[in-house]
Amino acid sequence: MNNIYNEKEMKNSELIKDLKNLPKIQAPENFEYNLMTRIENRNFEKTEAEKTNFNWAKFFAPSAVVVTVVILFFLLMPQSRQNDNKFASNDKNIESQALVDNSAALKNEILNKSGNENANKSAAGTEKRSLEKPNPNSPQPVGRIPFGYSRSVSLDDYIKGANNQDNLIQGNVVNSGETPSSFDGFFLVEKPDQNTLKKERARIDSLKNAKAKADSLKRLKKLP
Amino acid sequence: MNRPLSEIKDEELIKEFQDNNTLEAYETLVRRYKDPLMNFVYRFVGDKDACTDIVQETMIKFYLNKDSYKSFAKFSTWIYTIAGNLAKNELKRRRRRTIFSISDNDDEKTPQIEDKMFHSPEKLTDGEIRNEIIEKALLKVKPVYREVVILRDIQDLSYEEISEITGLAVGTVKSRINRGRAHLQKLLKHIYKD
Repeated sequence: MNNIYNEKEMKNSELIKDLKNLPKIQAPENFEYNLMTRIENRNFEKTEAEKTNFNWAKFFAPSAVVVTVVILFFLLMPQSRQNDNKFASNDKNIESQALVDNSAALKNEILNKSGNENANKSAAGTEKRSLEKPNPNSPQPVGRIPFGYSRSVSLDDYIKGANNQDNLIQGNVVNSGETPSSFDGFFLVEKPDQNTLKKERARIDSLKNAKAKADSLKRLKKLP
Repeated sequence: MNRPLSEIKDEELIKEFQDNNTLEAYETLVRRYKDPLMNFVYRFVGDKDACTDIVQETMIKFYLNKDSYKSFAKFSTWIYTIAGNLAKNELKRRRRRTIFSISDNDDEKTPQIEDKMFHSPEKLTDGEIRNEIIEKALLKVKPVYREVVILRDIQDLSYEEISEITGLAVGTVKSRINRGRAHLQKLLKHIYKD
């Protein structure tokens, strides 16, 4: 292997000789003086040759990539995701739906109360009154508003600081920190109108009376 | 250290500079290497002003990073490596500048070795012109080959030293030197007829 290189060296001997005989370049006279001055002054800034020049290609390449990504993001993003915030787009719908649901909830409340009263009467006041809990299996109006009643908080109560039992039982406490919250949103509570209450009570009473009469008639028919 | 600094080996001088921060030791090494480095960088870059800046920068780097030198290596290979890297950076910068420059001047980019057309064969024997043509031809050789040819044929370094400086295997160094020489011979075929 070395022989090959030696042969080639022989072949290029004249060139090698000329290269060796090229005039030697010497450092300028003030080279050392300039160097030591720079060191003494601690002037270690890069020389002109070392300084990096502004490069348009370097500047445009990353910014072009960023701009392209942003444009592609907006072009390819599904349309449905652009209106993700239902609260921002359907304020009026939510409000009207919440009012409808509140009136339904009010009816349930009245029925429960009157039912309890009857139960109390029949039990001659011996049984303790149990707290009415919402049935978790009962259908919730989740589909009609963007949050479920069972996972929401009465805003009025919450602001007053009287976070009542219903709110707490439903686990609808507004959490903070890193624990994931089960809170879905606030709902509006309307104070029951006294006239509506009276009307509903009268209607329910008449229904109950009618039912009692029907039962007594059935019993009479069964008698021999 | 009782001996005069000029008699002390490079490795001892840098040890002295590393241990005691002796500025005289540093100055002695600068004096020893400024000319060989100027010669090497000038042949590699082909521009005297840039060459002076690069060698200055090499010496500054040596001053600031003296502790990065490890005693198992030769000082000469270490300082040549610094200078070589700075020279390569300068060439890269120039290439970029040439690509993006609006007002390109081809005369600056390519050495005009075709000057031979204007010299008669008798005149080519004249040393000065001959050297000028060789210098220009050398700058036309690819930097990877040029570097090793300069280190071997102009700076007279051994293959092992070149291998250390370039970080290449000795075999690679030898083959690159031969390729560089062959390219140079081709460029200068009007001088070296056989």
